[in-house]
Order: sequence, then C-alpha cells, then structure tokens
Amino acid sequence: MQRQGFNRTAVILHWLLAVSIFFLFISSWWMMGLPLPSPELQFRAFPFQLHKNIGITLVIIILMLLYVRLKYRPAPVDSTHMTPSMHWMAILAHVLIYGLVLSVCVTGYLSSAHTRWDTVFWWTIEFPRIAAPDEEMNEFWGELHTYAAWALLGIIAVHVSGAIYHAFRNDGIVRRMLRW
Amino acid sequence: MVSEGLNNNTPAWASILGVIAIMLGVFLTAVHGNEAMKQAVIVEHMPASGVMPEADCPPEELEEEGISVAECEYLIEHVKGMALSAPDWFPSAQMTLAGIGAILAFISIIIGGALVNYTPSASVAAVAVFSGLAIVDLLQFAAVVNTGPTLREVYLGGILLWFVLHLMLLVGAIAGRHTQANA
Repeated sequence: MQRQGFNRTAVILHWLLAVSIFFLFISSWWMMGLPLPSPELQFRAFPFQLHKNIGITLVIIILMLLYVRLKYRPAPVDSTHMTPSMHWMAILAHVLIYGLVLSVCVTGYLSSAHTRWDTVFWWTIEFPRIAAPDEEMNEFWGELHTYAAWALLGIIAVHVSGAIYHAFRNDGIVRRMLRW
Repeated sequence: MVSEGLNNNTPAWASILGVIAIMLGVFLTAVHGNEAMKQAVIVEHMPASGVMPEADCPPEELEEEGISVAECEYLIEHVKGMALSAPDWFPSAQMTLAGIGAILAFISIIIGGALVNYTPSASVAAVAVFSGLAIVDLLQFAAVVNTGPTLREVYLGGILLWFVLHLMLLVGAIAGRHTQANA
C-alpha cells in the first residue's frame, strides 16, 4: 500500500535541509567579508565553526532523507500531470541535488581538514585530524567546495522553478512534499 | 493501492500563495538567522576600547581568499564602520527582531504547507503570520532609520523589499479568504 505523498519524516527532513542550505549560503557570503583571523581578531571563529557544524549535520540529514525516501516510496505521479521527459528531468535534478549537497559537504570538510583549525562538532565532539595543515590541499578542496556550491545553487534554482511551475498548475505534485 | 489521500480540492490561489510563502519563508529564516548571528558576533568581538588592531594579512591567506592587502585591511574598516554606525541599543534590538523574524519565517513555511493542503483555518493563520512578518519589517525599518548612514545603506533597501513581499502575501491571503467566503 503506497501513500500519495512523501513520508512525513521525509517532508520534515527536506524542509530542514532547505533552510540549512540557504543559511549556509547566506552566512558564508557574510563571514567571508569578516577580517582575516589573528590572535586579536576572532570575528571568523564562531561563524566558521557553525558553518562546519551545520555542513556535517547536513550529511547526516541527507543520508537519513535518502533512507526514508527509498524505504517509503510514494505512489507514482499521475501521468496526466507529468510527461515522461519532465519525470526524468525531475529525477535527474534530485540526483544532482543529493550528489552536490554531499560533494559540497565533503569538499568543505576536506578543505578545513588541511587548515590549522580543528573541527569540534557542535563544540562537543572533537574530530580526529585526518591531515596535516597543507595550504595547497586546503586551496584545492576549497575551490572544489566553492564550485560545487555554485553548481548546487544553480540546480536548486531549477528545482524551485519546477515546484513553482506545479504550484501554478495546481496539479497536486507539490502537495506530495507539503504534508505536515 | 494508494492509502492516504491528499487534499485535491485546494483552490489555485492557495496553492500559489502557499508555495511562494514557503520559498520566501525558507530564504527569510536563513536571512534572519544570519542577521542574529551577525549582531552577536560583531558585538562580542569588537575591542572594548573601540580601537581595532592592525590587519593580519599573510600572503598565503590573501592568495587563498583572492584578495589584495588593501582589501584585507578594508575588511577591518568595514566591520568598524558597521559598529560605529550602530547606536548602543541597535545590536540587541536587531537581534530580538531577527530572532522573532526567524521564528515567524519558519512558521510561514508550515503555514505555506497548510495553504497548499487547503483548510479554511490555514488562511486565518496565514493572515496572522504574514501580518507579523510585515510588522517585524516595519520595526526593523524604524530601527535602521535611526542609525547612521552606513547601516542605512546596508539594510534599508532589503528591508523595504521584504516589507513589500510580506504585504503582497498578506493581501493575497485576505483576498483568498474573501474569495472562499463568497464561493
């Protein structure tokens, strides 16, 4: 027996993910405009650690979301509301979003792992060092992190446009992800 | 076999208004959350003397950030300018409004979902939440108007845009309610 909409846990995780991703984008643009760190200038310490905490948490959330989505699949969409090509585009966009979110998080962590700053997850769990500070590797992973983040923003724009398209048509497709 | 039916009788206005409220709510929760953090971080790390230390701009950091020495030094001046433009009451007022705004924005995501799966009470809640968000915008606008030119330049345009968006959502919800009442 299948539900018409997505599982409630999936819905909550989806919207938690959405808010977190937007917060990370907006806060990162701001925090990169803060003074570079020195013993007297610690403006960046809290925002960067929070950025890492949320990023690592996102990996956990997206893996949970993937599990719930695959375990409790909703009923297929009515073919009168979605042509096969639109259906495949939607699947591709979702796969890209999942892949890019994971890529952004992993590259961000690897970039951070090559700095002199430790990662203390939510200021409680100290992550073991996986690499020595290395400026070149930090820059390499940092650039991948940035490019993956821009790509993610682009694909999110496509995803949001799709949702708004279906909302304007009032065809019930967005309701599948909006059941509390 | 499909077990759980969704509400397939949602009026078009509620479907559109709901999704737009959700999209804006997601974005605004992040914006207000960031604003609260911004004020907390600046207040906590400003030197008590008000005199900012020299910029520390090692070449490898500049290369990594893709900025010049002049820009690195300007980052300190920028934060200093923001702090100088803010009266003593401003950070706490802004943090409070941003906190309330973040909560209301998050609630507007839930309300948006309720509009998309339309129930008459969803539109009542939507009117209340969109009014609350518009009031937060107005209070923020009033607070920023009473600061210096640096902060006015940074904030006023954005706040005005959010106020217009919330006013449109509010009027949309009221119009939708009237439409339903007359149907």
